[in-house]
Amino acid sequence: MRPPPTRDARRASRRLDMGVARYYRLYELLSAALQDGTIAPESALPSEPELCDLHGISRTTVRRALDRLEREGRIARRRGSGTYARPHQPVQRLCLELHALPETLTALESRTSARILRCNIAPVPAALRALATGVAPTGYLLQRLRCSQSEPLSLTSTYLPEPIGRRLRRPIPSRPSLMTILDHLGLPTATVRCSLGVAAADADAAHALEVPLGAPLLRVRAILTDDSGAPQAVMESLCRSDRLQLKVLQRI
Amino acid sequence: MTTTPKSGAGVSRYLRLYIVLSQALAEGRFRAPEPLPSEPRLMREYGISRSTVRRALARLEAEGRIERKRGSGTFAREQRREAAAPRDFSPVLDATAGPSAAASSRTIAFEHIATPAFLLGEQPGFGATALLIRQIRYVEREPVVFETAYLPEAIGSGLTRRRLDADRGAILKVLGALGHRSASLEREFAALEADPVAANSLGLAVGAPVFNVRTLARDQRHRILAYVNCLYRPDRYEAHAAIDLGDPRRCRKRERR
Repeated sequence: MRPPPTRDARRASRRLDMGVARYYRLYELLSAALQDGTIAPESALPSEPELCDLHGISRTTVRRALDRLEREGRIARRRGSGTYARPHQPVQRLCLELHALPETLTALESRTSARILRCNIAPVPAALRALATGVAPTGYLLQRLRCSQSEPLSLTSTYLPEPIGRRLRRPIPSRPSLMTILDHLGLPTATVRCSLGVAAADADAAHALEVPLGAPLLRVRAILTDDSGAPQAVMESLCRSDRLQLKVLQRI
Repeated sequence: MTTTPKSGAGVSRYLRLYIVLSQALAEGRFRAPEPLPSEPRLMREYGISRSTVRRALARLEAEGRIERKRGSGTFAREQRREAAAPRDFSPVLDATAGPSAAASSRTIAFEHIATPAFLLGEQPGFGATALLIRQIRYVEREPVVFETAYLPEAIGSGLTRRRLDADRGAILKVLGALGHRSASLEREFAALEADPVAANSLGLAVGAPVFNVRTLARDQRHRILAYVNCLYRPDRYEAHAAIDLGDPRRCRKRERR
């Protein structure tokens, strides 16, 4: 299916693979094959000697990869008959639907709790200032960690214009969404513009969200504007996509 | 109980630090004359040893992305073109008029297969066989997305590899031209680690974050046209959504009901 790699491609791939354990490479390959059904549920995986030959790695390395898949409940090893793919276990994740934002935020507020990590005047990051013209270089930062049953879901940094930030009543309620907070201040939101992407967890995010350094996180950047088109707030949310499902339905 | 995320092991600490610093450099967070954080600070912040920090910095230096000056610190170097500030190629690839001339594609697989179990599990009405298309799409010759698409047999039978190549790999656009116009797109977004295949296709380090967008396209009659699983380079692609809340007070009311 895939053409054999050229020498250059092999060299490039060695460079890209630097720092990655051999077992992990096999683990990832098998993991992807199990995920997309290349190895169908209940069917047999190649035997250990076959995997050794196929990937030019030792038996110990193959076993490490299989051990990990077994621990994750994705394969079953049956003595004397081989290794089999186990059927998929669907995971329950909190689902956020951007096309139904008010309903989604209501669900988020009722099913999660949040903790305020920071509330102070801070410079607005360049990436958020670039979302629209008219965003001031400093703002009132409200940083919150949202959890579901004490498991961290998202780390959100919101920057409000200073005059709005000063109007927040103390103590600042932690649970309501930004839109609800603005609504209570008599500042209803008319439009939300989001850009979605991913980021590697830096030290702060890794610590707060309990993920390893560099782990992939969904990144939602958004700007909220009122009905005159003036920016009300900019925000960046880093989400664990293993716990939060983000969807959008677009009709054409 | 805290579950250990999948990314917990297998990727060394030095590579994790390298990925985080790479991203910060690509986003222009360290601009000369401001130095990068010092080695002791990186050790403290990330809870790793000096030699690990040095390995990550050595790799960035070897790639020409930082410069270490004795006695004064480590500095970001002018980035090569491909590592410049994140650029968003989504309009080039997804424009309603079709991909622009800057886009190109390379088809890796174009074959009829038995519908994979995961897809039948999610969409029982998909049908027993599917057309599998796997391709890498480029903008200005730089890889942007590694795409795997499944089309129901009835939809895919009218599509040829040549036709897809001629349209620069824009599957939904070609289907539209063949009379299967998309009426709704259901998208789901996730953050994943690049596996070796995706990493090689996209020129990323194994374990680096990739942006996963899964799209289910349906036509007017709610028939499935395609299930497309995309792995994007995060520095070259973002997805956008604008949500118009209309009269906000009315929205709030509706929500309370």
